[in-house]
Amino acid sequence: MNAPLRKFPKQKRGRGVAAGWYGIARTATIDRAAAWAELDDGGTAKIITGVTEIGEGILTVLAQIVADELGIRPKDVTIGDNDTARSPEAAHAGATRQTYMIGNAVALACREARQRLVKEIAQKWQVSEDDIICSNGIIRTLDHSQSMTMSEAVKYCKNCGVVPVGSGTFTANHTGLDPENGSGNPWQAYVYGAQVAEVEVDTETGEVQVLGVWASHDVGRAVNPQGVEGQIEGGVVMAVGQTLMEDYKQEGGYPTSINFAKYILPTSLDVPQVNSVIIEDPDPLSPLGVKGIGEPSMIPTAPAIINAIYDAVGVRIHSLPATPEKVLAALREKRERADTHEMLA
Amino acid sequence: MASLDIQMTVNGRPVKQSVSPHLRLLDFLREELHWTGSKEGCGAGECGSCSVFVDGVLMKSCLMPVAKAQHSEIETIEGLEEQGKLNVLQQAFQKTGASQCGYCIPGMMMAATAALRANPYAGREEIKERLGGNICRCTGYQKMFEATELARDVMNGKLTIEVLKEENEEGPFIGSNSFRIDTSSKVTGALKYAGDMVMPQMLHMQVLRSPYPHAEILELDTSEAEAMAGVEAVVTHRDVKGIDGFGVFTDDQPVLARGKVRYVGEAIAAVAAEDLLTAKEALKKIKVRYRQLVAITKTEDAIKPGAVIIHDDVPDNIVMHIPIRKGNVVKGMAEADFVIEETYYTQAVEHAYLEPEAGLAYLDADGTLVIQSPSQNITHHRQKLAKILDMPVNRVRMIMSPVGGGFGGKEDMHYQGILALAVLKCRRPVRYVFTREESIIASAKRHPFSIKYQLGLNRDGLIQASKIHMLADGGAYNCSTEGVMRKAAILAAGPYAIENLMVDAIGIYTNNTPSGAMRSFGAMQSQFATECHLDLCAEKLEMDPVELRRKNFFKEGDETHTRQELGSVSMLEVFNSALDLADWETGMSNSRGATRSDLAQSGNRPPCTLGARQIPLETIPTGQAS
Amino acid sequence: MLYYDQYHVPETLDEAFDLMHTNGGNYKVLAGATDLLPWAREGRGGDVNYESMIDISKINDLSKWQLQGKRINLGANVTISQLLNNPFLRKHIPVMAKSAVWFADDQIREQATLGGNLVNASPAADATPPMLAMNAELRLERKQKGKIIHRKLPLDEFLTGPGKTRLEAGELVTRVECDSMLGYGSAFEKVGHRRSLVLSTVCLAALVSLSDDGQVFEDVRLALGGVGPVPIRLKESEACLISQPIDSDLIDKSAVLAVKHIQSRTRQEYRREVVYNFVKRGILGACKDLNTTFADIDTDMKHRGNYG
Repeated sequence: MNAPLRKFPKQKRGRGVAAGWYGIARTATIDRAAAWAELDDGGTAKIITGVTEIGEGILTVLAQIVADELGIRPKDVTIGDNDTARSPEAAHAGATRQTYMIGNAVALACREARQRLVKEIAQKWQVSEDDIICSNGIIRTLDHSQSMTMSEAVKYCKNCGVVPVGSGTFTANHTGLDPENGSGNPWQAYVYGAQVAEVEVDTETGEVQVLGVWASHDVGRAVNPQGVEGQIEGGVVMAVGQTLMEDYKQEGGYPTSINFAKYILPTSLDVPQVNSVIIEDPDPLSPLGVKGIGEPSMIPTAPAIINAIYDAVGVRIHSLPATPEKVLAALREKRERADTHEMLA
Repeated sequence: MASLDIQMTVNGRPVKQSVSPHLRLLDFLREELHWTGSKEGCGAGECGSCSVFVDGVLMKSCLMPVAKAQHSEIETIEGLEEQGKLNVLQQAFQKTGASQCGYCIPGMMMAATAALRANPYAGREEIKERLGGNICRCTGYQKMFEATELARDVMNGKLTIEVLKEENEEGPFIGSNSFRIDTSSKVTGALKYAGDMVMPQMLHMQVLRSPYPHAEILELDTSEAEAMAGVEAVVTHRDVKGIDGFGVFTDDQPVLARGKVRYVGEAIAAVAAEDLLTAKEALKKIKVRYRQLVAITKTEDAIKPGAVIIHDDVPDNIVMHIPIRKGNVVKGMAEADFVIEETYYTQAVEHAYLEPEAGLAYLDADGTLVIQSPSQNITHHRQKLAKILDMPVNRVRMIMSPVGGGFGGKEDMHYQGILALAVLKCRRPVRYVFTREESIIASAKRHPFSIKYQLGLNRDGLIQASKIHMLADGGAYNCSTEGVMRKAAILAAGPYAIENLMVDAIGIYTNNTPSGAMRSFGAMQSQFATECHLDLCAEKLEMDPVELRRKNFFKEGDETHTRQELGSVSMLEVFNSALDLADWETGMSNSRGATRSDLAQSGNRPPCTLGARQIPLETIPTGQAS
Repeated sequence: MLYYDQYHVPETLDEAFDLMHTNGGNYKVLAGATDLLPWAREGRGGDVNYESMIDISKINDLSKWQLQGKRINLGANVTISQLLNNPFLRKHIPVMAKSAVWFADDQIREQATLGGNLVNASPAADATPPMLAMNAELRLERKQKGKIIHRKLPLDEFLTGPGKTRLEAGELVTRVECDSMLGYGSAFEKVGHRRSLVLSTVCLAALVSLSDDGQVFEDVRLALGGVGPVPIRLKESEACLISQPIDSDLIDKSAVLAVKHIQSRTRQEYRREVVYNFVKRGILGACKDLNTTFADIDTDMKHRGNYG
């Protein structure tokens, strides 16, 4: 939808661009995660892992990974609760690590469970294990000569006395940094991002509205593209807030912005249209090739906006947030310098 | 105790109950009727997560004394479902992926419902205005607008219900927009977060917090509070049986203040009582005598010689200094054609997850201590707790309750230890729900940074040397300061091949609110400076800022700032695709907004001018009230 | 938190006054509760205790309005939502709708009342400047010796400071009377730190009526909020334009006159510049509202920076 340029001369538009990079999983230290998988009755699957869903969508990502690994569907997958007494360690939610660490651990666990099942079926069908494919709830030979449902296969496997379970543990071999010069391998997977921002600055009030953001991010491999978009959109808006309006203030150590009336968050009326493109440069060091998006999504936004403000009105705001007061003061200063310049010329 | 007889209809069912008169409608729905779908995100009418229909009008139930709703018809999120099936709007939220942590969703769904009821043909601008009283911290709202529009079109017959179906019922599923498996629990308000959980014999906790940024505690007397009727336990640091202290890198934070307080809002003591009011009254009876100390609130003051020491074992107040050294920066700068310097500042930022912290702790039948809380790292927390309580690790059980937003703010164990102490003392379940104000002042913030940036470049744009000096205010406790400094140091110079580097990231103790993990920590602040600085340099070099970056980007096989050899590097591809997507017009960065031709293309939203939903006077049907 | 033992919902004014009388001093009158509940929290009012709440929002008489000659007589319980949406109110006092669209959000507009907003007397209240510009007068009633007596106070005399008014013990604001602005163009300008549910740093209401040929200002009303302890009328700025032909230099002068009224404790420099810009924008906006065209008006910052 085209947003026509307003004919009101006091509003000025501009664009800015910024790049960024980030490392996946824990910094400068070995990272680890484990998972258990069971191919269950009805051709469903039970997955237990210390996964910490905080809204980013990791549970769904795991269900999709499991579905492809085991040849079932995401709705057939049950993921157990994150409980120190019930689930294996998968460490924390943070460092944009879960898709990478836990996704891969779960894939490995599924492969082991699948292998246990396939071994029994291969024996039954007198074919090699490589000749068998599981997909869409059906297990069959490559040439379709033999097949049964996954539900039947699980039943058969259990009747043979084998419960198709598996476990997986995935390691990211990061090293610490040298204390003098910082050298080391803090991560094994890196991601890159870039964003363009378009803003409109009201030169009479100093208000900045971010109208559009065009974001491109390398996620290795997008398990759920809509989920990736959701993280980009959310990250961008969080960054818009930090760029223009959020400021946790303390005076002499006493907090003054202690409620949402004083601590200003972006509302539905403050957000840009976010346009995303997903780039996939798979990680070669892990089974799935996935990387991550949760944090990288908000790195280029602030500088893209600040650069756009400069493009629009010729002032550089170098301290966040770029509130209307700061922008108007910068504009005033610029005018005064120009007037002085004129006077002296 | 005074009581009020309340009669109303909730989701079609008549309700009659005698309650404390001072309950708000929100409390009545949640605590009395156990309709926990409506949430308390702020209690002050600022976030909208409490929105319900009262006689058909959408209102914020945290702003409504329950008696105001006497004899009214109330509709909550739980009433939207149709016979156990998601209604069109709920299906639309599922289809567009509009639900992430789920905490704002009930309120947001009510607002979207109100929007479509008010105007079944509402366009995007009007939808945005009608959702303007509801905050979401996870999604950026975009998919919610899309969901509301989709529902609108299905309800108007413009699109068939088929559009709400999952796009891919058959694999492969990696790469497919499968429905989130937790959406239905969130759009129905059925999912229980820690603050929604109740148990028989449950007590309510309140915490006494420091009014001063830096003070010695000379006296802490809880006897009067303990003696109060209805109070089952009062806990202080004295109740810690093991080794006190938690944190992410060092265990420098006591569960409850030990001898001194280091920031306003630090927890000192806690009360577990039969009801919230009694717990609050008991807090007032705890006697504390303080001797105020000089409070350090600026990083420069913390590192001056003779500065007050905030942690005895860190006499210079420096939490962590991470250096990166590569090549010869002095030589590099001297040989550069341009040396450009500037200082950048970023502020402390609050996570503002819609779900304020909450936890429910209890003893299992076999005496295992169980804590349910929206913790981002239950494994780490369990280890710390076991050490603090001097209990075997497998006798402490931490269960992650559904997290209503984290962003790094729920990585610190700043209240679970308090719950543990209380439960162990009184042997009954205890629940602690933070108010928004408590959540803001007690929990960690994003590190404010000051970044002195110096780049040496050649005339042709190649970066010869980079010198970045970063000071970060770590606040009163370490939390993730060490990790933040490390990440900042490693990533600061950006995705650019640079031979000569001198980077320092220094995290400093002050008596401000502790700074801790927050989404993209260290990177957001440092790369903000980098990317602003590059544009500044481009202007001084009279070069296109896009070209300047392209010239310096990492390529496959390059060495990073920490001397790691890079494998495949997608930076250029990513960069170019962003520019393509935006139809970026090439050009210098001399503030050419007035003349560039790539503005106001598709992909923008119109600037907000308000009044989108103002129907022209002539079109309002006569006789229609407000 | 707000605590109380009893909650009364009188149906008539009489009942309300009796309740106020029997409860001695330990009561609080409320209408929408949209200011009270956010205030009774940590960091602001803290834990607040009353014996009785007296909720006057269901007193029918206070929700009605009518045209009386050239004045609109509004019940104090008129909601902000009604000011935004009601056709009659939008016809007569459209500036209130323009201000209401900036007021909080949909939900709060349904709950908040005009009377409550005025009595709350926030220096940044969005509803106050338009009311001041429309020469609002409040009707204050109380019961004395069994009889209801009333008095009237102009709004600018009623407000005395941040959160302070001339409302006396036992008194209720029952009606708000203001001019009908038929024939006037109006504008409302506001700036805060975001676009919804935000406190005003500065807000301005502008009302203008022009001569038949659209070349001369017949009447100009300007009122400002967020710049001092109480919102104010800009009488000097108005006087400089009334009966004068529309001219950009004059509008600029009017704006300069407004700037010296800034008495805020913080962000003075910012407010001065915004006020200067808003006065001009407001006057032009109000004129445009009357569909007048200004091909030759150029108010582009003639005195920018020189407003003293």
